[in-house]
Amino acid sequence: MGKGQRATQVFKSTEYIEQARDEDGLLLGSSNGGNGSNPFKLAPSNSGSLLALQEEEPSSKKAAASSSPPPLLQEERKKSELEAVPSLILVTTYLSFLMLIIFAHLRDFFGKLFYPENYVQLRVQNGLAPMVSDFESLWTRRLYGRIRDCFNRPITGVAGGHVSLLDRVSHDFNATFEFTGRVRSVLNLASYNYLGFAQSEGPCADKVEAAMAAHGLVAGSTRAEAGRSVLLAETEDMVARFVGSEAALIVSMGYATNALNIPALVGRGCLIVSDELNHSSLVSGARLSGAQIRVFRHNNTRDLEAVLRRSISQGQPRTHRPWKKILVVVEGLYSMEGEFCRLPEMLALRRRYGFYLFVDEAHSVGALGPRGRGICDHYGVDPREVDVLMGTFTKSFGAAGGYIAGSRALVDHLRLHSHSAVYAEAMSVPVLAQVGASMRMIMGEDRDHALEGQQRLDQLAINSRYFARRLAEMGFMTLGDAGSPVVPLLLFSPAKIPAFSRECLKRSVAVVVVSYPATPIITGRVRFCISASHTREDLDYALDQISEIGDLLMLKFHAGKEIEAKAKRED
Amino acid sequence: MASQSAASHLAPLLTAESDEDGGQRGLFRTAWDFSFRMALRYIKNSYKDDPFRTFLEVCLIGFIIWYMTKQKYNIGNNEIELSEKEIDELVDDWRPEPLVPELTDFERETLDKAALLDGPNGIKVRLASGNGKALLNFASYNFLGFIDNPDFEKRAIETLRKYGVGSCGPPGFYGTLDVHMELEKHLAAFVGHSAAILYSQAFTTILSVIPCFSKRGDIIVADEAVNFSLQQAIALSRSKVYWYKHNDMADLERVLKDVNKQLTGRRGKNALPRKFIVTEGLFHNTGDISPLKDLVELKHRYKFRIILDESLSFGVLGKRGAGLTDHFNVDPHEVDLLIGALSYAIGASGGFCCADKDLVEHQRLSGLGYCFSASMPGILAVAASDAIRALESNPEGHFSSMRENASLLQTLLRRIPGLQVEGALESPLMHIRLTPETLVRMKRSGGAWTKTDIDRVLAELVEEAQKDGVFLTRAMYVDEHERLLPNSSIRICVSCAHTRKDIEKCAHAIKNAVSRVTSKKR
Repeated sequence: MGKGQRATQVFKSTEYIEQARDEDGLLLGSSNGGNGSNPFKLAPSNSGSLLALQEEEPSSKKAAASSSPPPLLQEERKKSELEAVPSLILVTTYLSFLMLIIFAHLRDFFGKLFYPENYVQLRVQNGLAPMVSDFESLWTRRLYGRIRDCFNRPITGVAGGHVSLLDRVSHDFNATFEFTGRVRSVLNLASYNYLGFAQSEGPCADKVEAAMAAHGLVAGSTRAEAGRSVLLAETEDMVARFVGSEAALIVSMGYATNALNIPALVGRGCLIVSDELNHSSLVSGARLSGAQIRVFRHNNTRDLEAVLRRSISQGQPRTHRPWKKILVVVEGLYSMEGEFCRLPEMLALRRRYGFYLFVDEAHSVGALGPRGRGICDHYGVDPREVDVLMGTFTKSFGAAGGYIAGSRALVDHLRLHSHSAVYAEAMSVPVLAQVGASMRMIMGEDRDHALEGQQRLDQLAINSRYFARRLAEMGFMTLGDAGSPVVPLLLFSPAKIPAFSRECLKRSVAVVVVSYPATPIITGRVRFCISASHTREDLDYALDQISEIGDLLMLKFHAGKEIEAKAKRED
Repeated sequence: MASQSAASHLAPLLTAESDEDGGQRGLFRTAWDFSFRMALRYIKNSYKDDPFRTFLEVCLIGFIIWYMTKQKYNIGNNEIELSEKEIDELVDDWRPEPLVPELTDFERETLDKAALLDGPNGIKVRLASGNGKALLNFASYNFLGFIDNPDFEKRAIETLRKYGVGSCGPPGFYGTLDVHMELEKHLAAFVGHSAAILYSQAFTTILSVIPCFSKRGDIIVADEAVNFSLQQAIALSRSKVYWYKHNDMADLERVLKDVNKQLTGRRGKNALPRKFIVTEGLFHNTGDISPLKDLVELKHRYKFRIILDESLSFGVLGKRGAGLTDHFNVDPHEVDLLIGALSYAIGASGGFCCADKDLVEHQRLSGLGYCFSASMPGILAVAASDAIRALESNPEGHFSSMRENASLLQTLLRRIPGLQVEGALESPLMHIRLTPETLVRMKRSGGAWTKTDIDRVLAELVEEAQKDGVFLTRAMYVDEHERLLPNSSIRICVSCAHTRKDIEKCAHAIKNAVSRVTSKKR
């Protein structure tokens, strides 16, 4: 079965169709793929608590009237989530890490004593300092090494709703892996394939094939020199139209979109105010720019305001000269937390403080909003209010690379001054074609598949809500905002991190587990990425397995409370 | 009833507790008294025994108190205390600069006239503005003609039908394809190094590899003429950097000696930082080749490591096309970190780093561009594999004609009066610019040439050549960010797929263009 066909299957569950009913009583599947008739906006987008969600469902009209969500709800909820962490779990998690680190040092100590030949690379040899210092590599060798089998699992074929893993075993405690030659198909809850466009067949792949026949494979130069083609220019225009800005610039790699473009926007004498959980590429870009960097607490607009007030009133350090520019850098959807940035409040601050706003929509574009246009669409704000809209094609569009969109002046400047446009290879033809084809489909401009884009968007929204809700009902501790296609589930203890991944693999489910340094040391988690190409059966299967694993690993921290809450509701 | 009886039952217990409480308090007081007296006696005795020690101890306590109070007045912090109202006023007054400056007239012109290719890139290209006329392409990095090789298209479609386009995840999270691993193995074997790791963009490869190993406190000695990605990578690493004169081994030796001299006195943890020589195989900005043999000798003599950017030289230099190490017959292991690109000669996209196994594995977690970005599309990985296979099976067919073409074009160009040619003879990449004398002659008023003036003349030259059917490009730079901005030039890339006639046509077109441009007084 083609993966595209799977994506078009819509759940028939009355419960979710009811939830997806809009004011006019239009059913989800029959909406004409245009705008406006999106059911999911009605549900309060910011109230993560499932109880609140259910209570408010019947009175959806009321919720629709107040389209901007109450800002405090989210903060309160998060506080309670973290306070709800039983102190026993906190203590045991810290103790586990302590034990791991003590054992790591002990093993290193005795290893160096008895097998010095294995530690040659950590010593000064031949007058050369070791390439990787002892302490730096401790984490990699002794902690990451233990669970290396949970990462870099090679695959073959398409990372769609299901993925083919190359089976591998290790006979030397994960130092090396051997391939058994078997390939196993597993349910994929790991890839960023939100709209199910990771496909090797179907209309998009056909368009890519046609494009390669007409335009070749690569651009053979940089965008600013000889790499600009009609195809590239057309795709850039389409991206601009898609996100709702005047113009856009396409970059051939997602990481580079941030790392190589921020330096063209700010420099010495400027200030970057960055969310503490921003992606590594944003950090690299900020460092390369030479601007001062200040950090505010994750998604905390009050802290952002405090930082801004202090920075603007004090000016540059030492000289107290006023800042040339201030760029606030946030992400639309935080991929490790599943949280949306609080855009309306940020825009209110922007009006007051006159900074420029940079929103990284790597995960949100295509996946959020009734029309899939990202975080602005989700909140219903004008994308032109955001100065720099950055996004990637890797996730929702099943392609690669990224874009920067904004005013024409901004993009014209970047075409000549962005490091990526001037020095890096231009986007290759198949990727451009994939971006164009998938975007056209989402916008409903593909005449032969006019409804498919909207169906995929709706399917993703239904799947994400269903999955997160079922997990919470089981008593798991999940993070993230309702409707986020990224659903993190807290594991805490370092021993449960590989255990969860391995148990999942045993049951043919591919998941991503993350721990320090990608997350705070205490909140190791598994991250599920929901896709429109998952069917209800896929999700139910996964949920059953996860429930079993949850019992096995004692992860249902909320189990008791949920029963109490249910009893209360029944009263 | 029940509660009453319970209360009465508890009554004696409660009183007993309060008694006990009093007893505890008494006990606590005696303990306190006792310890106080002990301390007092200790101080008295110690003063009697050794008054100097008491003096020292008092000084120590005084120092601690002074030190703790000092912390409150942070010297680095010269913030002014402001009232909320004052802050509001300052916020109201603050006017930021526009996010981007306005384009200059010349920049606007450049954007408006930028080449827009209609159809595929290759030896012949059509411009959207060119009425369907095919131009000979000397602008794209198509050294080996891989860009317009029809065999690859078939393979690309096969790959598309198996792998789709995007990999939908970073390599760590189910983004590692079997074709990536095959390409990594293939690259390591082709270069002759121990292992290789793939990145999905050439620029970012360099930007990831150098900061992965060279950290704050480490030392980088770099060639002055290195390309922009190396400059950025060095900046991102925050290492201490020393520059040596372009390809000047005597100057490099001087710098290496200096660095080692500075380190001789050092003790403690940072006594021996990591030390790297950073240079390029085939220089992007000059078309020169690094003297690798000398570099290796110096590296051993002064205990440095080499980071070599072979982005352009990979697939271009050497008998087999394996790059600079192949060209000089140097063991590739002598180059500690060998960085290459697949987006130039190979005609795909992305880059790679060859190094020892440990160092490659380290990058899989610490190479930011590897760990935090999606892996390369399978189609491009297969295209790169195929290109390398084609090189392996028929190196002569690709290189001899490319080198012949390169040296022929250089010879022809050098004959053109008023034109300066830069680039090594083996290099299929060269820079041309007008000689300073010509420029002086061109200016009627004899005034000085600004960079924009020169750029404008070169842009005219490119346009003129286009009229004669030859597609060229100026070498573009982000002027304000380059450490040492190279002189403006037109960069010419020769391909093995060019015929002798093509080369002659190119030289002829440039000759005509130069004479037309220089005859115009301004």
